[in-house]
Amino acid sequence: MQGDFYSYTLTASKAVLILLSFAILIRCLRSMLREKYDPEVWAYLRYGRERYPIEHWEVIIGRAKDADVCIPEREIAWSHAVLRRNDSGQWRINDVFGRGGVWVNNIFVDDDGTDVNDGDTLNLNGIYVKFQDLSMEKREKIESKRAGVGRKYSPALTLLMLTVFQLFLLLQHAFYARPEHLADIALGFCSIIVMEWSCFNAMRIINRTGFEIETLAFYLSSLGMSVAASSTPEDLYKQILLTLAGLLLFLLCGWWQRSLQRTARARIPIALAALLLLGINVVASDVVLGARNWLEFWGFSFQPSEIVKVAYVYVGAATLDRLFRRNNLYVFIGFSAVCVMALALIGDFGTALVFFVCFLVISFMRSGSIATVMLAVTGAGLAGFLAVSARPYIAQRFASWGHVWEDIYDKGFQQTRAMSAAAAGGLFGKGAGNGWLHNIFAANTDLVFGMVCEEQGLLVALCMVAAVILLACFAVRSARSGRSAYYAIAACAAMSILLTQVALNVFGSMDILPFTGVTFPFVSRGGSSLLSCWMMMAFLKAADNRREASFAVRPGEKIRSLGDIEALRERQAQRKNREEAAS
Amino acid sequence: MKKLNRRAFSVLLLALFIVLGLFTYLQRFLESGENWASYFTRLNSLSEGTITDRNGVLLAAFTANDNRFNEDRTTRIANYHVTGDFWDRTGTGMLTNFSRQLHSYSPITGMTQTRRVDMTLNVDAFINNKAYAALAGRNGAVGVMNYRTGELICMVSSPAIDPTEPEPKVLDGVYINRLISAAFVPGSIFKLITAAAAIETLTTIWQRTFFCEGEAEVAGVKITCPFEHYTQDFPGALANSCNIAFSQIAIMVGQNEMINHVRAYGFLDPHDLDGIPTAAGTYPLDFVGDPETGWSGIGQSTDLICPYSMLRYVAAIANDGVLVEPKMVRDGEPPRETLLVNPETAKTMHRLMRNNVVTVYGDNRFPGLTVCGKTGTAEVGDGTSHAWFTGFLEDDDHPYAFIVFVERGGGGLSVATPIANTVLQAAVRRGTEMDFES
Repeated sequence: MQGDFYSYTLTASKAVLILLSFAILIRCLRSMLREKYDPEVWAYLRYGRERYPIEHWEVIIGRAKDADVCIPEREIAWSHAVLRRNDSGQWRINDVFGRGGVWVNNIFVDDDGTDVNDGDTLNLNGIYVKFQDLSMEKREKIESKRAGVGRKYSPALTLLMLTVFQLFLLLQHAFYARPEHLADIALGFCSIIVMEWSCFNAMRIINRTGFEIETLAFYLSSLGMSVAASSTPEDLYKQILLTLAGLLLFLLCGWWQRSLQRTARARIPIALAALLLLGINVVASDVVLGARNWLEFWGFSFQPSEIVKVAYVYVGAATLDRLFRRNNLYVFIGFSAVCVMALALIGDFGTALVFFVCFLVISFMRSGSIATVMLAVTGAGLAGFLAVSARPYIAQRFASWGHVWEDIYDKGFQQTRAMSAAAAGGLFGKGAGNGWLHNIFAANTDLVFGMVCEEQGLLVALCMVAAVILLACFAVRSARSGRSAYYAIAACAAMSILLTQVALNVFGSMDILPFTGVTFPFVSRGGSSLLSCWMMMAFLKAADNRREASFAVRPGEKIRSLGDIEALRERQAQRKNREEAAS
Repeated sequence: MKKLNRRAFSVLLLALFIVLGLFTYLQRFLESGENWASYFTRLNSLSEGTITDRNGVLLAAFTANDNRFNEDRTTRIANYHVTGDFWDRTGTGMLTNFSRQLHSYSPITGMTQTRRVDMTLNVDAFINNKAYAALAGRNGAVGVMNYRTGELICMVSSPAIDPTEPEPKVLDGVYINRLISAAFVPGSIFKLITAAAAIETLTTIWQRTFFCEGEAEVAGVKITCPFEHYTQDFPGALANSCNIAFSQIAIMVGQNEMINHVRAYGFLDPHDLDGIPTAAGTYPLDFVGDPETGWSGIGQSTDLICPYSMLRYVAAIANDGVLVEPKMVRDGEPPRETLLVNPETAKTMHRLMRNNVVTVYGDNRFPGLTVCGKTGTAEVGDGTSHAWFTGFLEDDDHPYAFIVFVERGGGGLSVATPIANTVLQAAVRRGTEMDFES
């Protein structure tokens, strides 16, 4: 009788986990992608009778259809000028490649650009356009008309579903975990629940309503917690601490990116720090399984390349004006080459590939040139070919690809077991904590897809992949409405890294791609990986400028900080001075 | 920013790649998920089951997290090649080969369902114990089957290990089931094939006599017999196991006809014992000329025979040419029957094999039994020889065909027949007295 009760409960809990996964994903999907959100409006350009809204902090003025402000006059170049706004609300104009020539109030604009204020006349090679900044009140009015987040799909309800999901995961662990680990596992899940609700309430307090990104991150994190509870229940506290640290870093990085100037200024120091970190890694860390990518601190293994990923995205993204400089990509290409070479030196080919794909995405987004991308791919292919011919053992590491079942005791050891356990889990899984794959080396990192398939079933594992894809779709969507090219590129680059990791992790362990030992975002156990994933989410948050959605985006219309007020006063004073001088 | 928006879709190429990859995975999952899951069945399955012998003696039992074998160590070892172990160390064990039947899989539920399977075997653990004891630590194999029903009641390969020991002392070829998974030099038991071929192809065979002085030149090579058999007819030559006679007979039959018979009797092909593949044998198939054909006719040359194939052959002879395919698992399915040997030939061979025992080996070696058989002493080339004895009981109550093989054990008559006697006595007494001393 008791056995029946257990098995019924277990079967029910499996069904609940799957249904909740679907519900959470669908609610997030609809809220993030299906709902229509109006663009922000920051200023207008008037030309003749036309009034062109300026919807970003960085816009291209030109004749081309894909210019943000498209003025179809022959005098104007396809991409003629870039108009951009800084954090304090000051607009500035640059011409693009000096093709057409730009004058502000009949003063020629040189390479450094010229400030533009309300009422200024822009001369674009003979076409006169009037710039009209928006007053605070007007902006507020426009802003209040924009649809907010979370009206149709209450984030609180989605989060509640997630909480139930986590409690059912905990319930399943309660069936199978050893009694001595039960308290730790309960603490693990409860601390995630506490973290997510604290975060949610904090956002509520500062009046931010977008919580889908966090919800999906916490969804993946709770699967990660389940994986950790199955594989290493004895040091679950690490997972708790790391999730907390990741969350704090997420908040910190999000906050940091509120200011575009601050973000842009820090790029060079961060690039240097990243190179330094990789340098230390190359010189100092231990050789683990042929890849020297670990450093050990106080029992936490730390993988510098994970943190460098974040820095890479940070350094790689660029504001729109930089995109039109001729040396736009060179510095970044150099930086990328050093990073990838360092990783190859360490022997971490999976991460090197992740960086390379991110490089492709960033360089394509920055240059728009498929030729550049093809060149990079060809170059990398050539370098790879040389590396393989010079060091045949590199090729050997991938030799078992597609043949893992022929070598189940050596090269295919991990993959075959992951595939077997995954197949045994079927669609619904054996229940959290009831698998055996966690006994295999690196199951909770490299084979984590197999572990989730085994314990939670294929459906939840597919949801896990879908969650990352959903985040990527959101990044792409945000690129349309983003304030700055920087945020758009950073969000897309961050998601390209996570997607590549998903592909390498899932398909590597299932023998569809070579097995490279890359972690699955949030789900794989591992300190630095979890931290870097949370930091990546900050890039996404910074690109999310739906109305009052993200803490990482400063509201345009409301003055909150003292700094804002001072900047505003200064601006008003300047304007007054100018007007006096003019009169 | 509009430009960027378009370029941002490059990220979705990655997402598309993942989706395509997942479809590939799903397709493979549907195609081979069962193979994947079954590969590590013991780890994956939540099923429970038992394997018992024909009398209900527990051989192996398992639940999701517990393995059990017979409590008696001797029984565990003697039946090691029947049960196999949970590490899949031997390929022929039930636990390995019947993992599909013992564990349920479907793509929907994977192996998450708990299923209870109780499997009964035709094997008699008690007889296996006797056979293993009779082999007395020598490398070898014993197989006994009921030639009327196909029930394989004894399958023993020595040496064996205790399946509960994770790291046993590894003996020579301990994981090979010598009854079904290997082929050996057959020596004189091969003359059973040569004889059948002669009966069917040489009309004058019954009129012929063969003269043996212990040594003769046949087709230019020297062939020896252990004794001088002098003048003998065909049945006498088989009973004496006269090499000189049988090499001449093989040459008369000719290599092609020999090949036809060896192949027709199933010695060159692998068979399956309830789905467990058995070893194939070899016979010179390319033209080798008379001297080598002569050697091959007496079970030397490149002849290799799997003991299981020979067991099938003698079982067919015993059953008037109809082979009832051996079965180890009692699953209620009707036995497969095939005509392996021409019924007339089978009857003749039956008489000849009975004649062997009556005239040469002596019925007193098998008290109370009516044995038809043929011994073999196969020279391996290093001075040692394999001891063979194969045949069947002429007894409708105990229709058992058997094969005994002792690797480098010495003479067939001196070494193999006592083992056969011990095992057959146990099997026959088992049928009447039903003593459950195990």
